[in-house]
Amino acid sequence: MTLRSLLRAAVATALAAAFVATAAAAQDPRLGRLDPGTRPLVAVAIDSARAAGLPTEPLVQRALEGATKGAPGPLIVSAVQRLAADLGRAREALGPGTTPPELEAGAAALRAGAGPAVLTQLRRARRQTIAVPLAVLTDLVASGVPVDSAAAAVLALAARARDADLVEFRRAVERDIALGAPPTAATAAAAAAADARISQLNAGARENRPGRP
Amino acid sequence: MTGTVDLGVSTVHYDGFLPSGAAAVTPVLRWDRPAGMLTASGTYLRFESGHRSLQGLLAGSFLTPPAAHAWRGEFAASAGASRYLDFASFWHVVAEARLHRLGAERGLWVGGTAGTTSYGTAPRPVIAADVGVWARRSEVTLRLAVNHAQVGDTTYTDLESSAHAGRGPVALEAKLGARVWSRGGGRGVYGEGSATIWVGGRTAFVISGGRYATDPISGSITGRYLSAALRVRTAAPRRAFPRDPAVLHARGADGATVLRAARLEVHADRNRAVRLVVRVASAALVEIAGDFTDWQPVALGSASPDTWEVTLPVPSGVHRLDVRIDGGAWIVPAGTTRAPDDYGGDVGIFVVP
Repeated sequence: MTLRSLLRAAVATALAAAFVATAAAAQDPRLGRLDPGTRPLVAVAIDSARAAGLPTEPLVQRALEGATKGAPGPLIVSAVQRLAADLGRAREALGPGTTPPELEAGAAALRAGAGPAVLTQLRRARRQTIAVPLAVLTDLVASGVPVDSAAAAVLALAARARDADLVEFRRAVERDIALGAPPTAATAAAAAAADARISQLNAGARENRPGRP
Repeated sequence: MTGTVDLGVSTVHYDGFLPSGAAAVTPVLRWDRPAGMLTASGTYLRFESGHRSLQGLLAGSFLTPPAAHAWRGEFAASAGASRYLDFASFWHVVAEARLHRLGAERGLWVGGTAGTTSYGTAPRPVIAADVGVWARRSEVTLRLAVNHAQVGDTTYTDLESSAHAGRGPVALEAKLGARVWSRGGGRGVYGEGSATIWVGGRTAFVISGGRYATDPISGSITGRYLSAALRVRTAAPRRAFPRDPAVLHARGADGATVLRAARLEVHADRNRAVRLVVRVASAALVEIAGDFTDWQPVALGSASPDTWEVTLPVPSGVHRLDVRIDGGAWIVPAGTTRAPDDYGGDVGIFVVP
């Protein structure tokens, strides 16, 4: 190793240390709850995400969650980095102009197993924010509904359903699963019922009036 | 497929008859698919005189697939029959086509109906047309429709309005209409209202009443009524399926430790303040931590011996939280969706609309 290469390595190390120190100095004060070895590494990950135009609050929260749960530093750093990568993938699928809550929900949906194409379709299908549809999709998958079934149901409702309709749809699925229905069947039935209710369909059954003798 | 059974009592006064009390059993089966739905319902009524009435209805709709454009077609059919003692029996079979124009918060439809109906005599043809609009605002849906029908030599035109409101476990429905023109079908103003209050996921109380018009298609005659019923709901097909284990016991956020169970309820109001209620038996201290508290533990106040709550500003979206009881390990409460937390354990996820 020549003197020149040694000098280069020393300069690079000094610059990296300075960058880490700068990041640590400018870091979110809430990160003070992390141990001194973890804090600058998390701060660097957060700064990188900020530089890439990604929301940083979810990253801070993920780090704080680790701190509250007493997770080891390397696990916290890797969780933050992984979330940052997911946020980046979500933005790629959802396009520029996506709001931070949408990105966070999109990252969770990707993590749950939804493909980027589903996120893109959802973006096209709905003019309003898609944070709640994405959250409902993630929630359904976590409840045991296959990704394809969950995505088909949410996509079918997304164009006209309001956030509250989607949350109600989610509750209906949860209730039917708790009553013993298979998750896929519960999802399809609840989606169809929600669609009919939202769109004022089912003309044939309109004679049904509760309690009329 | 879902099913409900209403067990109720009514007081009813059909026009031209004496008032009577009645007990009723009304089973309803509903089969939903994205391409359509099928409903089968029946009512068995036993009047205080001991006389009995039976009604049955089978109705279904086939829908064209949802599309990017706002139009959607619906083809519906219904067949029904009713019988009172041995002297009054009706049946009808009608088919209907509707074209819907659907928006996110409003829509309209135009439809036509054709079929046949019978009142113990030769069948009579049914021809009807209707047009309607609807709009939704918050939890309230309003509908306005005009229906013109010709049943044999009976012709009538109805104006109908209805409102449906639902919030949490309570659903309210009201209907106000008028038969503004008629030849042989009577005239007048009518209105009905109902309240359905769900207690848990399976049981509801239904209170309804009002006055409805003669329906020459289904054979019902004008009457006034007041009903109270207990509705029991089921989901079918049933099979053994693992319930949320957190209902019976809670696993710690580490995914392994068995701890006391807690259930979370989320009540959001319009001002973005969210009331978080945790139900847990015999605790001295209940705390939550989540991405809306910077993962700092927040102690809940005791509302009753097994109910703890706190109201916090929680923005719309998906959130993560855990619960801690008496300073023990963090647990994932029932009422949230359990998901891996990146730290070798689990976290509870809930959505605020």
